[in-house]
Amino acid sequence: MPPDQRGRHDRFEVERATPDWDRLTVGIADLAVTAAEQTLTTSGLGSCVAVTVHDDVASVAGLVHAMLPRSRDGTGANPVKYVDTGVERLYEEAVTEGASSHRLEAKLVGGSHMFDFGDADERIGARNVDVARETLERLGVPVVGEDVGGDSGRSVRFDPESGTLTVRKAGATDRRI
Amino acid sequence: MEVDIRALGTFRSLAHEGAEHAAGSLSQLTGIETTVDVTNVTLTSHADLAREFGDDEFVGVQIGFSGRLTGETVLAFDRDSVSTIVDVLVPGASTEGSFDEMARSGVEEVGNIMMGGFIDGWADYLEASIDMSPPTYVERTGSEILPDSTFTGETDDHVFVFKSQMRAVDETLNFHIYMLPEAEVLSELLSMRSRGADTVVPIDKLSVFNEMTREGTKKAADNVTTLTGIDTDVEVSRLSFVPIEDVPNSIGDDEYVGVVTEFDGLPSGYLAFLFDEDSAHTIVESMLPTEPSAEWGEMEQSAIVELGNIMTSGFIDGWANVLATTIDHEPPQFVHDMGSAIMSPVVGRLGKQQRYAFLIDSTVQTAGDEFNCDIYAVPDESELREVLESPIDERVDQMEPDTELF
Repeated sequence: MPPDQRGRHDRFEVERATPDWDRLTVGIADLAVTAAEQTLTTSGLGSCVAVTVHDDVASVAGLVHAMLPRSRDGTGANPVKYVDTGVERLYEEAVTEGASSHRLEAKLVGGSHMFDFGDADERIGARNVDVARETLERLGVPVVGEDVGGDSGRSVRFDPESGTLTVRKAGATDRRI
Repeated sequence: MEVDIRALGTFRSLAHEGAEHAAGSLSQLTGIETTVDVTNVTLTSHADLAREFGDDEFVGVQIGFSGRLTGETVLAFDRDSVSTIVDVLVPGASTEGSFDEMARSGVEEVGNIMMGGFIDGWADYLEASIDMSPPTYVERTGSEILPDSTFTGETDDHVFVFKSQMRAVDETLNFHIYMLPEAEVLSELLSMRSRGADTVVPIDKLSVFNEMTREGTKKAADNVTTLTGIDTDVEVSRLSFVPIEDVPNSIGDDEYVGVVTEFDGLPSGYLAFLFDEDSAHTIVESMLPTEPSAEWGEMEQSAIVELGNIMTSGFIDGWANVLATTIDHEPPQFVHDMGSAIMSPVVGRLGKQQRYAFLIDSTVQTAGDEFNCDIYAVPDESELREVLESPIDERVDQMEPDTELF
């Protein structure tokens, strides 16, 4: 396995091997899946999107934080960097962890338009959201809540026990979805 | 001697992986959940490296290593937070004032186990054995926490440092692993892997980065002084090499007020000037005739944008001078948000064509602590390589007739 991926792989194993922690922090271009009702958090969502999946009955939850819409548009070996392959990977890992594909529900956060950098086709945030919706639809996972778009950054915390996703924006009160 | 960017990327990954093993060992030993935020490779001058540490107090261990790779590592805990670990490991040890014998051996033991995990990854990758020296307990101020051998050369000599920033998830516990490979051995490893690669940068050109940053930051700072009348100082400047997705993490989740600007030319890229909120207020106050409101209204925003504009122009001029190229910039855009979120669209756009980023950061601050501005520049990696590979001196010669016209 290339060394670039080895660290990531290890990270998943470490997370699984230590289910006694209350919280898993997910980085950018990173994902985590838990069957131990740990809270999942990620921060620094600007144009990036975070997608959570949850199977309430099997108590399996996962979160992916992806940067770019489609893997075919970019370079690089990390599938979790892209929304399409990242969401697929999240789905697969959740099912491997014991979730039922029929019970999985998704929530979607991020994809803001923070700057006008000129060229109109470069609205990465909006495209990230579109590709997330498309991919989830293709996988048959309904989107049961979302907080997307706008022009500010977000941090999120997903509590698998209650199924609540808390969204924090700079200078605003927390929103629960 | 050339540096292969991909080899540097691989070595960074090894350091990151090693740091994760080290964090895992610490978690197992203490039951305190720890995480590695960022691992970067910096090329920095001795003087800037020393400044980065300030006057903070550290406790830790130094361990040397030798074999296929030779150098020194340091595991450094913030003096104030390390007692959390010592209390768990050696209950009853004293961490008041100077650490007692029990506390010291606790730290040594932790260090030995953690750094063993850190080094093993490198040995596996290089398929060679790397020997570790016994741990040396250190309790020091500022950059003295680094091995004495670090600073044997001139103050503007450059050194590669692999640095992992680590912390406990739920407690105040901050620590770092520094790895300082011996330049000659690292160079050999980096160039060995670069034969035929299209991703090489001559190592002597890497110091041009620091010159660019220094020159850019100085010009930006001079422009602030001209506009506001506040005297400024240029602090630490640094070049880090990180995976593109780690750029936002390097900046963190604190809220900032500032501007982000896209620049175009050789190279193109993005530039952010970020003030903490207090600093932004101070500086807006000095620019507006009336007391600014606490909210970021139109007037306050346009003051920040104006300031951002002249800082950007100064910074870009500095780069263009050092590189002898033309660089233009778009109008700066106001931003008030979490640092990591601010950088997210930037890495999104650059991340399409590059896996690694040269993150150039520096700080402008005032002697009286009125304000502090962090500058982050992320150039397009391949364009920057292109401009560094081409002979800068020739461009300078070509530009001279123009300047003589004035």
